[in-house]
Amino acid sequence: MSVKPRPSRWNGWIIALHWAAGAVILGLIALGWIMVHGGLDSAATFDLYQRHKSWGFVALALTAGRLAARWLGASPPAPVSPRWERRLAALTQGSLYVLTVGAILSGWLLVSASPLPVPTRFFDLFVIPNIAPPRPSLFAAAVLGHEAAAWAIAALVALHAAGALKHHFVNGDDVLKRMLPRRRRSGPPA
Amino acid sequence: MTTQGNLRALLFFAALTLAVLAKAHVPALAAANWRIDPARTHIAFAIDSVGYPRTRGQFRQFQGRISIDFAHPDRSSVAFHVQSQSVDVGSQSFDDYLRSVAFLDSGRFPSIDFVSSSVVKVDDHTVRVTGDLTLLGVTRPLTVDVAVQREGSGQRLSFLAKTNIDRLAFGMNSGFPLVSRDVELVISSAAIEL
Repeated sequence: MSVKPRPSRWNGWIIALHWAAGAVILGLIALGWIMVHGGLDSAATFDLYQRHKSWGFVALALTAGRLAARWLGASPPAPVSPRWERRLAALTQGSLYVLTVGAILSGWLLVSASPLPVPTRFFDLFVIPNIAPPRPSLFAAAVLGHEAAAWAIAALVALHAAGALKHHFVNGDDVLKRMLPRRRRSGPPA
Repeated sequence: MTTQGNLRALLFFAALTLAVLAKAHVPALAAANWRIDPARTHIAFAIDSVGYPRTRGQFRQFQGRISIDFAHPDRSSVAFHVQSQSVDVGSQSFDDYLRSVAFLDSGRFPSIDFVSSSVVKVDDHTVRVTGDLTLLGVTRPLTVDVAVQREGSGQRLSFLAKTNIDRLAFGMNSGFPLVSRDVELVISSAAIEL
């Protein structure tokens, strides 16, 4: 179908957004766990919640950027692997997109529907509006969804990383390398 | 939390008054005025929430007036005015949130006030102060037992008052029942006779 030749590696935007989103999402999961289970005092907990909310919107922007970049940019061909592996990889990657968007939206929803709505001040710059009125049942459902999505993302990121490492170290192919920033070739000796 | 601050202020005054009355070894001439030592005065509060650590804080700015008549304790009085915007829970963003309409509404209600209406000596170390606490523009009666300790030569008194107030009674409904209706107030202070 595609007339254009497929590139041998991901383009720079996709690579940058992939690693940036990955770092922010893993940071959000860690921050979320600490702010809920870390045993911190009330003031520190409050600050971490506010930071978690702001970074959540950064993750949303990065994820939107990734989806746009994937839609606009061409992807390298799938590696030569058993069909089940390719299916599993595609399912994992697709699920990560869906769960990431789901986790962020459920987070936004729980913040909005909370019986105690605390304004979301994006890094203290401006207020992000709520998307629902306070409603305890909606809040409880959103909390469950947010938590489940976070755990599922953590598990799938582990699977995704394990797959990439397997390609690199076991199969010896370039699946991991083509998602890494291009190494600058060392110039000829002067 | 404002309620707590008011309560604390009230309690502080009451305690001071009671303490003076309780320690009525001084000849009863007239009600004497005492100066509150701000450095040794803490108007603190604590409130519990579901799934969230206990929030502790205090109000940093307040004015207090204590008048003590050892011979006629009922002529003693305490008044406290706490600036609601001076709330401090250890986080700038949390403080800002507490000052918002959700809780203290400091823009509309800058002051939390306690004015005593009666002071009764309970025993040598305790006075019971009754008065009106005004929080969010709502005035409710409040009675607090204040532990009073005489320090040094007697020109100095320390006070400790603990009580709980129901924030819902003052229309501070935000987050209930996730955030408890009970606000614990602990007011400690010291005063010097003028």
